[in-house]
Amino acid sequence: MIVRPTQARDPAREPAAGAVIEARGLTKQYGTTVTALDNLTVSVQPGITGLIGANGAGKSTLIKILLGLLEPTSGHAEVLGHDCVREGFAIRTLTGYMPEHDCLPPDVSATELVTHFGRMSGLPATAARERAADSLRHVGLYEERYRHIGTYSTGMKQRVKLAQALVGDPRLLLLDEPTNGLDPAGRTAMLDLVARIGSEFGISILVASHLLGEIEQICDHLVAIDGGRLLRADSISSVTRATAVLLVEVDEGTELLQAALADRGMSPVPYQRGLLVPLTSDEVYDVVRDSVAALGLPLRLMEQRRHRIEELFRADATVPALDVPDSPAGSAQTTGVARVR
Amino acid sequence: MSADITAPGEPLAAAAADGGGVIHNIGYRRYDAERYGRARIVLALTWHSFRTAFGLGRGAMAKIFPWLMFVLLCLPAVVNAVGLAIHPGSQPVVGYDAYIPSLRAVAMLIFVAIEAPNLVSADLRNHTLPLYFARPIRRIDYPLAKLLAFVLACLVMVEVPLLLLYLGTVTQQHGASQVLEQTLQLAPGLLYGAAWAVLLASIGLLLASATGKRVFAICAIGIPLFFSFILSHVLEHVGEQAFGPAGPGEPSALASLAGLISPFTLLGGVLRWLQAPRGDRVQAQMIQATIVGHYGWVYGAVFLLLTAAAIGGLIARYRKVGVA
Repeated sequence: MIVRPTQARDPAREPAAGAVIEARGLTKQYGTTVTALDNLTVSVQPGITGLIGANGAGKSTLIKILLGLLEPTSGHAEVLGHDCVREGFAIRTLTGYMPEHDCLPPDVSATELVTHFGRMSGLPATAARERAADSLRHVGLYEERYRHIGTYSTGMKQRVKLAQALVGDPRLLLLDEPTNGLDPAGRTAMLDLVARIGSEFGISILVASHLLGEIEQICDHLVAIDGGRLLRADSISSVTRATAVLLVEVDEGTELLQAALADRGMSPVPYQRGLLVPLTSDEVYDVVRDSVAALGLPLRLMEQRRHRIEELFRADATVPALDVPDSPAGSAQTTGVARVR
Repeated sequence: MSADITAPGEPLAAAAADGGGVIHNIGYRRYDAERYGRARIVLALTWHSFRTAFGLGRGAMAKIFPWLMFVLLCLPAVVNAVGLAIHPGSQPVVGYDAYIPSLRAVAMLIFVAIEAPNLVSADLRNHTLPLYFARPIRRIDYPLAKLLAFVLACLVMVEVPLLLLYLGTVTQQHGASQVLEQTLQLAPGLLYGAAWAVLLASIGLLLASATGKRVFAICAIGIPLFFSFILSHVLEHVGEQAFGPAGPGEPSALASLAGLISPFTLLGGVLRWLQAPRGDRVQAQMIQATIVGHYGWVYGAVFLLLTAAAIGGLIARYRKVGVA
């Protein structure tokens, strides 16, 4: 239930029809040795876009360039139609930024902080107070917003960081690792919140993360970067379809199952105590189920998984690369039980 | 401030139907009303920082030092008012120009050393700066707003006691000529107080912005200011053992230039230089005034250079500071 004001709206604040972010040949070098961004060309459409990359891939650098806080070494970038180098000022009136690191003073309350940054976004005092209350309510902070931030849990602090980005009614939110430091429940809650802001509030969001399994649940598009280069930019559905694998574990007869699946045109690969089967289509679930049933094997686990981001985003990733890593830790990411049928 | 806060009718009706007590999700509301530009945002930051300097909007503990120092600085003016009330017609206890230099120096040293870190170090320590720089202001606006706020705060500390002194004096006097005379004495005093505020605020903020650790910042301000003050006096005394080239009666170069070391004695020297043509009256009032000899103009020049350097350094500091 969104209440639309009757007065005329400023056309400059209307959502852009085309891309919200355009980068062409964007390069950022620190000194002569460190290259944070390397000739990055990408276009980000309205909606929720995941910016995926390992730590140090250049995600934060890109966001700072988009905000006009850093000047690119070369290349060109536009946010909502404004040039990042020359019109950073205009961009910052239209965007909200949630930094990756802790950035909150401990000795003020969330209400005071968000109100203050509302005023820093150009809101008059009364409007800043109202929107601060609104923003904090949207992120799920109620009575506790009058307490000093120093007493908050990490999850609450992340919510305050999101609220201060939201208070100025931005057209675009740039969120840098919003789930940083959160426990699984906190991550889910934060992701739900981001998804709600994107879908219900009609605000475009660029959300940076190093955990693909996490943000793919809420994104419409994915942009993957590594070493400052674009690995892949695509809609989430094509990425998910092309790269998912199914982990099947049976208590006995793994070899039998592997042979049976191979007979039916699949290419299962042994992985730990189970098999990894490329999820080329939805029928794979049925085929695996039927094969297990036909062989009468005790099925223990069926779970959708994916590999490391770098492997996922290989340019020709129509069939996932199934070179099995030695250690399960950090190599394969579970995308959540909810995806298992 | 009208259309954007209009409460939607539906939840209200629903609340009435449920008998109230129901919290409704009224959804996201756009903000399409007036937005302030850069100047008003900087003013808002200035006002916020000014309040911070006096502990307003902060806890009770944060108010102790600024207000204690303020009361301390006002005491001579209060004593003056009481004294003149008891003995009407007598001369004011202290002058408008120098006030009581040592009291002012100590009180301002403590005020600047404690409050400058609150204005700038806290944002560095908490990494809050990226939140500011992601707003529609420019890099330079942050240090300028902080400087403006702290100069104003120091002005309050320095000038309000002078105004109290003035009020306490003129209310005990009769005749327009006497009031006019007091007013004419007050004006240069206020101007000189402004020199204190600008110099100390800019030096204090520059030193405080060097570190995010509050204790270090307090030390970074307090220790140099305090020891340069002491050192300046020691050197002045040493220099007084010798005479200048013109023989007895003329202070030596060492004694004349010792005051340049400390901002407080530097300010005293500036006052001495500016008032020099007026001769004896100054000598009488300035019990602890800096010896400047023939080097008064040096004090003026160093004051201007030091202020400019401190402000320039502060701006340069925030041009370079990282955003994450």
